[in-house]
Amino acid sequence: MAEPAPPAAELALRRRLPPRLPRRPGDVYVNMQTDFKAQLSRCQKLLGPGGGCAEICIHGLGLAINRAINIALQLQAGGAGALRLAANTSTVPLADGLEPQGDEDGRPPLARARNNSAIHIRVCRAAPPP
Amino acid sequence: MSNAREKKRAKKMRNQPASVTLSSDCGPCPSGIQHHNGGSRSFQTPKQDLHPDSSQEFQQQRHQHQSPGPSYRKEQYFSKGQGRGRGGWRGGRQNVSQEMPKYITASTFAQARAAEINAMLKAVTQKSSNSLVFQTLPRHMRRRAMSHNIKRLPRRLREIARKEAEKAVHQKKEHSKNKCRKARRRHVNLVVEFNRRQKKNIWLETHIWHAKRFHMVKKWGYCLGDRPTTKSYRACYRAMTKHCLLQDLSYYCCLELNGKEEELLKVLARMCSIDTGPTFAAVPCLSGRLQGSLVLYRADRYPEDLLGPITFIWKPKDGSGITSETRQLWIWTHPSLKQDILTELKTVFQCSEPVETCSPEPIVTLLQEEKQTDVAMIVGKKRKREDNEGEKAVPVKKIIGDGTRVPLESYCWTSQTTGVVISDLTMEILRYRLIGPLSHCVLTEALKTASIQTEMADAETELNNWWVENCKNSEKVSLHQRQEAIFELLQGINSPSEIAAGTILGLTVGDPRVNLPKKSSKAMPNPEKYQDNEKVRQLLLEGVPVECAHSFIWDQTICKNVTENKIPEQDLNHMRGELLVPGSQLDLGPCESKIPILLVQQPGKVAGEDRPGWGSGWDIYLPKGWGMAFWIPFIYRGARVGGLQEGLKHSEYKRTPHIPNDFPDCPAGIQFAKELENVLLEKFKRRPPAKRANYVKLGTLAPFLCPWGQLTRDWEVRNKAQEESVVTSSADSKSGATERQVPCEPKPGLTIEDSQGDIMEEMAKIQNLCKEDGAATSSGFFVLRNRKLLKQLSARCRPTCGKGQRVRPASKLGQKEMTEDALLSIFKCYPRVLVWVSLSLLRKGSPELHAMICIPTQEDFLQLNKDQLFCGPQEPKHSDIFKHKILKLKERKKKKNNGNALESGASDALEAKAVEEPKELILGLWPDPLPDVTSHCSRILLGFVTQGDFSLAAGCGEALGFVNLTGLLHMLSSQPTDKKGLVLLRTPASLQYRFARLNIEV
Repeated sequence: MAEPAPPAAELALRRRLPPRLPRRPGDVYVNMQTDFKAQLSRCQKLLGPGGGCAEICIHGLGLAINRAINIALQLQAGGAGALRLAANTSTVPLADGLEPQGDEDGRPPLARARNNSAIHIRVCRAAPPP
Repeated sequence: MSNAREKKRAKKMRNQPASVTLSSDCGPCPSGIQHHNGGSRSFQTPKQDLHPDSSQEFQQQRHQHQSPGPSYRKEQYFSKGQGRGRGGWRGGRQNVSQEMPKYITASTFAQARAAEINAMLKAVTQKSSNSLVFQTLPRHMRRRAMSHNIKRLPRRLREIARKEAEKAVHQKKEHSKNKCRKARRRHVNLVVEFNRRQKKNIWLETHIWHAKRFHMVKKWGYCLGDRPTTKSYRACYRAMTKHCLLQDLSYYCCLELNGKEEELLKVLARMCSIDTGPTFAAVPCLSGRLQGSLVLYRADRYPEDLLGPITFIWKPKDGSGITSETRQLWIWTHPSLKQDILTELKTVFQCSEPVETCSPEPIVTLLQEEKQTDVAMIVGKKRKREDNEGEKAVPVKKIIGDGTRVPLESYCWTSQTTGVVISDLTMEILRYRLIGPLSHCVLTEALKTASIQTEMADAETELNNWWVENCKNSEKVSLHQRQEAIFELLQGINSPSEIAAGTILGLTVGDPRVNLPKKSSKAMPNPEKYQDNEKVRQLLLEGVPVECAHSFIWDQTICKNVTENKIPEQDLNHMRGELLVPGSQLDLGPCESKIPILLVQQPGKVAGEDRPGWGSGWDIYLPKGWGMAFWIPFIYRGARVGGLQEGLKHSEYKRTPHIPNDFPDCPAGIQFAKELENVLLEKFKRRPPAKRANYVKLGTLAPFLCPWGQLTRDWEVRNKAQEESVVTSSADSKSGATERQVPCEPKPGLTIEDSQGDIMEEMAKIQNLCKEDGAATSSGFFVLRNRKLLKQLSARCRPTCGKGQRVRPASKLGQKEMTEDALLSIFKCYPRVLVWVSLSLLRKGSPELHAMICIPTQEDFLQLNKDQLFCGPQEPKHSDIFKHKILKLKERKKKKNNGNALESGASDALEAKAVEEPKELILGLWPDPLPDVTSHCSRILLGFVTQGDFSLAAGCGEALGFVNLTGLLHMLSSQPTDKKGLVLLRTPASLQYRFARLNIEV
């Protein structure tokens, strides 16, 4: 997460939320605040009987990529070969809001673009081997 | 006789007239005189004897009347049987036994008996309790519906029951209206009644809707919904985080300033300070692109004399640039702050002359309205009666009846010298707030942008004439289309927090009632709309262009036109009924109203690390009269409605100060605190003393009011005492102290960069300022709002190395880090300053209002290190030193009361004495002159909590409050690095301290 330092003028950088697509029931956005176990068990519940999802999609952004991979692998390990993974990486454009701290003129832009890597892992139940 | 029964009987006989028991022994009295004597003597009997016996006395008396002779024997028998024989009884017996009366004076005897009989009759007719007759019957004799049908009662009770029933009917009659329900519910009468009821506290346009679903409170001159009557605490929280919560904020007041830009900026700059953040002159705000927010002070009085927080919007400059000189500025304030701000603005701008012609003059418009409707309706009903009813609100009257404004007083002022016009637009513009990620969906589904219209629907009406005019101009049409495009783009954005904070988007929309769905449903995001990525990204990065912030809502005449030409709900429904295909979409064509609105993005949680953008949303500004027309469509799209309580929770989870609760240094805040204290005290006093918390024993000095003034004063004294002790102990104290006081500036100036130099300059300025009005500073306290200082403080509060805390890049912190000494010396200039802090509990516990923030001792830290599950230390119980005093006072009072009965005149002196003593000592509360608040308990007090609860957003107890700056620095300097910012919290009614982490979020 390379955050360029704000310019010398009095500006405060505020990270905004990453853009997100509307959420389907099977989408899991992994974050670093929630406990790892809780996120894992949530995925297991979704995949398990009564969870109602044949496949789930685990999204991780930036620092949470590791964790997303970890969750997916743990799921696979616990699934006894019944789960299949398909990973996709992407780049997510992010915007950081710039807030002037004073009244100085200079017409600063309202936001600055920045990119971050993301991973999307599809976890689905594998068809029984022929 | 069982104890319970005795008690019951005693209760029954308590209200018997005294004369009955009085003269009981006087039956056989020889003469009237003796009788009187006996009476006075036996006066004491009921007191000496226990009550249960009095019934027997009563019985005896009856016997005496029947036959005076044998009564004597009976009397004896009874008295023997009861084993008593003292007082009047014995006397009476002796009397009888000694001598029989030789004669009786008939007249006096009869008189005495008559008096007795009267008393008895009275006793019989008078009910001892306030229960109904059938309620006195034993259970087995009660019958169903006795209260309605007196024939179900035993015959002997019927007469009384009949009387009671009549009485009840009379009472009901008095309460009920004299008209039948049908007449009362007739529209005209209903409106009259509604108008009468909102004279004192004005109603919002959504009042009726709210009153059916909310607990209403009367506050700030308005009737406002406090919280829903349904159980929806969690549901409202969920709506805020995941769906959409709707609030009616129309009670917020708008003040409009009109004048030359330079003039306005020059004067307004005196009322705010750049230290607290961007001011009115901030470039993006001044251009009209963004909404700004700041705190206002009395002119030139920063940092004291706070007026209150406001938000403001500049009207964007016209594209032509010709009229750029005169600008329009809206200042939105909370109604509790409005009067202060308005008067200050008037004095600062020297606006004292009321203007009659500037904006709709209430009385004139009222007359006009009347005329119009008289023409329109041949029935000729008074217009006055028609206005102001939920749906059909014609708000003309509301201007007059504004609660925050003195009626029949002008609300527009101008000044000769500057030409600035201040007008009070309260209730002219409605404001709804949508909170939550789905507010985009709700907005875009409920509102449809207005269609282009080039010709009038009708030559006679004024309906939409402004819009037709507008549509003739191709530039303006293209502007409208651009606005429309941006509005459409909102559908492709998941959360309002992705857009720049305070973005303004002007819009003209069609009548939202037309495309009302048949069933209410929840608006869900449409994935198809998320395709247009390039445009969305541009919007996110560059924000809404300045031109698109333009809206016709700024024009008062257009607003008035729109309000007056609203199609009534009834007509709309009629038209719907006439549709050929029932239930199909209504197409009004050119008759459809066009309404100018303003959408303003509200940033959610901006300060702090976690949950960025939580609780963001949109504010929608509407012209008056259209309240319900927009309200219902929003609700039909799945918005949940919250009241004042939800607003409070929203700001609590956002960790922002709530107006006016959390502004203890502004007049409205002080007022609020006083009211809250009264409410809490009344609640406390309503409980019996044994059943309420004894705050003296708990060591809570002020459970209902935060004594900020005393807290700051005590810390000042404490600090001085410490310094003095330092001075006396160290040898070269004087030189050291002076060195530390003054010359810290050059030292860091050498080492730190240019930006640092700025800060230092500022500090020096502040130092000077503080020294200048040192006298004024010492009189009161204020809250630190200087952003740079707060940032410094916030950096110092963080633990530098701790578990679970990510190590922040050193450059970020270190860049603006200052040497401790320099910082300390600066903060020393603020002897009486409070700092807004947020606290989150480490483990158990949910803090409450007025919880105390205390400094943990070294032992506490040791304990915490030893035991990870250590909850916190306990406060040792204090002794209630006032209990005896209160008891003594009580006794004295009792005595005095008795004395009063004996000698009323002599007790005056005593009373005077009682007045001198502290007026009310309440058991469990510390009387008024409080001792040193900081050192009253075993842990040193730092501050108080003003909002605290279990936070559903954070999943632990969270609190917001103020701490004293001196105390905070004192605490931080002595704490180990990994435990920086740990404090103890204790709720007023508990002895248990809990650990909490203190944060200063800027």
